[in-house]
Amino acid sequence: MGGRIELALLHWLDQGRTQVGQIVIERAGGDFLLRHLADVGQEKLEEKNLPEDALEIARWDAEGKYRPLKTAPTLRRGWRFRLGSVAELALTVEYFYPAMLGSYLAAREGRLGVTPLRETLNRQTGLYALTRKATVEDAETVIKRRCHSESGCLKTILWPIEDEPPRGFPAEKFTLAGGGERIPLPCAEGCNLLVAAIRRQLKKKA
Amino acid sequence: MVHKPDSALIILGHGSTVNPDSDVPTFAHAAEIRRRRCFGEVTCAFWKEEPSFRQVLLTVESDDIYLVPNFVSEGYFTQKVIPREMRLAGPITERGGRTLKYCEPVGNHPQMTEGLLRRARETAPGVPAAETSLVIVGHGTSLNENSGAAVKKQVERILRRGEYGEVIGAFMEERPFVTDWRTLTTCPNVVAVPFFISDGEHSYQDIPVLLGIEPEITAAASQRDVFRHNPREIEGRRLFYASAIGTEPFLADVILEQVARFDKQREAVLA
Repeated sequence: MGGRIELALLHWLDQGRTQVGQIVIERAGGDFLLRHLADVGQEKLEEKNLPEDALEIARWDAEGKYRPLKTAPTLRRGWRFRLGSVAELALTVEYFYPAMLGSYLAAREGRLGVTPLRETLNRQTGLYALTRKATVEDAETVIKRRCHSESGCLKTILWPIEDEPPRGFPAEKFTLAGGGERIPLPCAEGCNLLVAAIRRQLKKKA
Repeated sequence: MVHKPDSALIILGHGSTVNPDSDVPTFAHAAEIRRRRCFGEVTCAFWKEEPSFRQVLLTVESDDIYLVPNFVSEGYFTQKVIPREMRLAGPITERGGRTLKYCEPVGNHPQMTEGLLRRARETAPGVPAAETSLVIVGHGTSLNENSGAAVKKQVERILRRGEYGEVIGAFMEERPFVTDWRTLTTCPNVVAVPFFISDGEHSYQDIPVLLGIEPEITAAASQRDVFRHNPREIEGRRLFYASAIGTEPFLADVILEQVARFDKQREAVLA
């Protein structure tokens, strides 16, 4: 993480955009406090101060299940970070929500490249080459199951399947604008979890 | 000693959507290198996790970027998947005012041989090497003919030392198969060392089943109370199974040395 992302993060905080995914950032003197949105007002929280601690918190959900997708709405509660520098803050956010600050800054500056899902599937090889055969309907079936903010993923979908965005989502799932207090989580390309799920769907169909 | 305050280092790992331990060594080596302050920026990227190979360049700001694959073999991932996903043109890619320097994977480094031997000795302390078959276990794949080469190279190096009664390479997905260790080896003691980066799905969960020391796939290492017991008595032989060597702290130095080697090779090309 470099200085431009850190400066942008400070700027967004100054604008009152203090939420990233399920975490909320507060300033306390010269420090930054980070906690789960649902833990605001809670006092009995485990104190953390190393960015690397975020890796372990983000790794497991409340039931102890592995979270391969860090933008799933399953971040566990019960902790609070106190961080002394914006560099540590940016790194901690990076561990909770990988690549999201950099993606959002790129989107703001008009340099975030978006890849249609069809292109993503067409370049797969090996195990995932099968996904080239997915129809728009196959893809939509899986996207509906995997990408909903309530149950699957908090990111904002910016890619179309071919020409059109997937159906079955509210309009705000596709836009970075608005959002009030939130720093949005841009999804510029379908992730490997989605590609793998499409492969499983095709296997099941066959 | 690498000192590049104006450059970024990106450590490229496999990652996993099912095993929670797969990314641990890659993050640990990144944290160690960051602590040493030898690069302006240090981060990781993964095939199966985020930041992905596609996203990671958005997270660094330096124009001079070293990419070191935290992979054991120069095979399918380092020759095909990473160059495709990161749009690399070769060892050096110039794009949008940035230079991407694609280094060799950690598995190519000579120190890996020492790491494998150290693991073998630790796993079977006091067991005479001359009466032991050492099995270096790799993934191997039909997707790339070079995939098993890293294991074969290690086997040759270890054989030359004449320390072990027998040294062989065996694979999950290509011949000779690790499932056939009983017939591939002849010594009374067998030490199997996985040539893998992490104690992840393949090395901790799959290979023990292939070796016959677990009847079925167990939970991940971090979700079990004990690491595996050694040795197992199987058909009158003593089988020892090691943990992966990629978790060892010396890998942080190997990553930095791959950067230094890259620079040295480029200097030689330009000279």
